[in-house]
Amino acid sequence: MLQVKNIEKYYGNKNNVTKALDRISFDVADAEFTVIMGASGSGKTTLLNCISTIDTVSAGDILLDGENIAELPAAKLAQFRREKLGFVFQDFNLLDTLTIEENIGLALFINHRNADEVKNQVGQIAQKLEIDGVLDKFPYQVSGGQKQRAACARAIVAGQSLVLADEPTGALDSKASKNLLEILTKMNRDMGATILMVTHDAYSASYAGRILFLKDGRIFNELLRGERTRSVFYHEILDVLALLGGDVSDVI
Amino acid sequence: MTLFKLSFRNACRQAGDYLVYFVTVVMVTALMYAFNGLIFSEEIQTLSQMLKSMPTIIVFASIVVVGIMSWLVSYTTKFILTRRSRELGTYILVGLENRQVARLFFLENLAVGGFAFVLGILSGNILFQILRAIILALFDISYHFIFSFSLRAVGLTLLYFMPVYLFAQLKGRKRIRSMKIYDLIYFERQNENAVIGKSSRRKGVFAVSVVLGVAGSVLLLVGGLLFGVVGSACIIVFLYGFFSSFSSAIPAWFEKHGERKYRGQNLLVFRTLSAKIAEMGVVMATIALLFTATLISEGSGLTIQKLFQNRIAFLACFDVIISAGNPEAEEFTDSVAYVKDSIPVTDSRQYQVYRGETSEITDYLENHTEYYRYYEKDILMRASDYTALREMLGYPAAEPGQGQYIIHCQPYLAGLLEDWAKPVRSGGYTLVPAGVHTETFAQYLWDVNGQGFLLVVPDEALQFGTVSHTMYVAETAEPVKEEQYNFLKEIMEWSMDSGLFLFVKSEKEAEAASMMAIAVFPLYYLALVLTMTAATILTIRQLSEKNRYRQQFALLRKLGMERREIIQALKTQFLIYYAMPVVPSVLIGVSFILNFGSGAEPGVLAGTSHPLVIVGITLGVFFMVYVVYILLSYGSLKREVMD
Repeated sequence: MLQVKNIEKYYGNKNNVTKALDRISFDVADAEFTVIMGASGSGKTTLLNCISTIDTVSAGDILLDGENIAELPAAKLAQFRREKLGFVFQDFNLLDTLTIEENIGLALFINHRNADEVKNQVGQIAQKLEIDGVLDKFPYQVSGGQKQRAACARAIVAGQSLVLADEPTGALDSKASKNLLEILTKMNRDMGATILMVTHDAYSASYAGRILFLKDGRIFNELLRGERTRSVFYHEILDVLALLGGDVSDVI
Repeated sequence: MTLFKLSFRNACRQAGDYLVYFVTVVMVTALMYAFNGLIFSEEIQTLSQMLKSMPTIIVFASIVVVGIMSWLVSYTTKFILTRRSRELGTYILVGLENRQVARLFFLENLAVGGFAFVLGILSGNILFQILRAIILALFDISYHFIFSFSLRAVGLTLLYFMPVYLFAQLKGRKRIRSMKIYDLIYFERQNENAVIGKSSRRKGVFAVSVVLGVAGSVLLLVGGLLFGVVGSACIIVFLYGFFSSFSSAIPAWFEKHGERKYRGQNLLVFRTLSAKIAEMGVVMATIALLFTATLISEGSGLTIQKLFQNRIAFLACFDVIISAGNPEAEEFTDSVAYVKDSIPVTDSRQYQVYRGETSEITDYLENHTEYYRYYEKDILMRASDYTALREMLGYPAAEPGQGQYIIHCQPYLAGLLEDWAKPVRSGGYTLVPAGVHTETFAQYLWDVNGQGFLLVVPDEALQFGTVSHTMYVAETAEPVKEEQYNFLKEIMEWSMDSGLFLFVKSEKEAEAASMMAIAVFPLYYLALVLTMTAATILTIRQLSEKNRYRQQFALLRKLGMERREIIQALKTQFLIYYAMPVVPSVLIGVSFILNFGSGAEPGVLAGTSHPLVIVGITLGVFFMVYVVYILLSYGSLKREVMD
């Protein structure tokens, strides 16, 4: 589904070049839950921004469903994002002037779907994510967890191919984080959503099927969960983090 | 760096958003100073007796302006406090005491206020010169620049300015002093929590207010004092009801019409709009009321100005007009003698105006147009008098031939009278119509050359005619002086004959000029302040939301919405926001001006003075000021969000 081939990203001018991404390559298969981990400044958000077409790569190719993002004309990028990508942000990014239903429906609304379709699809996804009871409420009237579920619902309601999540648990308490991660797992397992999540939290990462560790703009290591329990996987992540020498303090 | 400097620097960084407010305060202060300058200007005061009442009227207008400015300053200070609460809270967090921060905010605002005051006084001097030039021109006096700086005017302006500013700042200071850090840091958020409410009561209010709005508009259009008062009351209730319930009515409407919600940019436009109006419903209604008052002030000012100008213009072809039912009356002969002896007359004529035998044309006019009947019969004039008067006025010669009559009328009756083709009888002659003339001929009011029209017939047809009144008209070498007019008026005032009529052009022109200065200018003054205040509040609110717009724009872009569509949604919402308070104001204002204008005697407000033209000019002037604010706001939105 997603193929990242030898991408590089440089910032600055010729006198002062910062290499944010250095020849990164990996694939994400359909219905896979992948996490990118790394310390601050390791390049994980830059990588996510490049995949989400918000930023451009300096070299290399990113293919989603066989389509090369780097070659897409600027005029097509918006269409590409609304049809193929779903986003879950750390601060929910719900519009406070819209109800939860309308916030979820936004992804369909900008795809010019008709009102009935919007209502039906929003209803279905809300039921699956157990927020159908708060659809007519405004974001300020619901809990943080409900807001995050609404953001998740928005990310998949239009049948987007890939859900990109940037530190989605960053603003949540441990209970709400757990809930959200279970929802992401449910979206991945039961609804077949392909998820690419960026986090520096080992606990959050342990919910994924595969973890790519980034250090100084390069892939440093890769972990596959396989048949291991989440708890075992979590400890393995901590071991790798210890090797990385970075974010261990963040997780214990 | 002192904390004051730090805080002041912070304030300056945010100044861009409040520049509009600052400029408005400077402008209002400048207007106050300029009008106060008129109060203390001896040169202006001595132009006419009537101008003696000008100070009272200007002070009265200024008190209203102080009230409006007070609202503007209080509202904006509170608003700035909300926006800067996090910063002020941080000062307390790092160890400053509440009263120190309160003092800081107070001093900072006082410094800004002081600066605005000084700038206002300086630009007020220029405005004063403009007002002075206009008033001198109205009195036909040539303008020469004389620098004048009235300390008394500065003092009076300060007297208005100080309480307004101090009151708002002290309120702000009190608020900070009593606040906790938490309140300050989360002050902004607390306000934003109350975004949109849903309540069936509000939906009811919305429905009732819309009904009242329609009823009020109809009543205002029907006109009349009682309907006007009731209609205005309905409109005021409508405005407050409508704007305070709009945000609840929109979700209700969307629930009913789900299919329309996702059409075009409806969802984004109306949701954002209703959220904004939920926060400022009462303010929005007040702004609509201010706009209404603006249009009414401007429109009625312009109508009064045109009424005075035109009434005089209808008679102003002659410098002096004296008329009497009885030409032998001592008052008449004395006045005419006084004019001949004491005023340098270049040309004059005394003649009779006659009552005709029939009233066919008067009846015809009465039945076909709005015409105030004064004479029972049609009014006639001898051809020889007519020819002489035309010559005196420099009009091209026109004379009825044998067996003919000419109609001379006010322009508004010309169309109807050109269709009149019937003969009239006078002194045994049957006369046929031979054309219509419409030059200014003193046909307004009563004992002059007919009420709106007269018939000019051959002399022989009036050989035995019945005299209606006798006229004496004169052209003078120089304008009649105020004391000469007063003397003539004194002679006339002794008279018991109600048919006596005196018109002195120079005096009436001075009267109109005074009227402009004491009634029309203050109305424009009020109108300008009202527009600027209301537009400033709208613009401050709009500008302060640009962060929210920016975030919304960024999110929608990420979600894949086309840039073009987002910009269109923003523009639509922007336009509706600025149009909402204007639409009801225009409806009310226009119907008021039309009604006010229709109360004038027929023919006075015609041509370029027609009420519809007045409406056009009023709206033109209003939008000229309003559009400046809209463009400022749009420029910022475009620069900081769309680009």
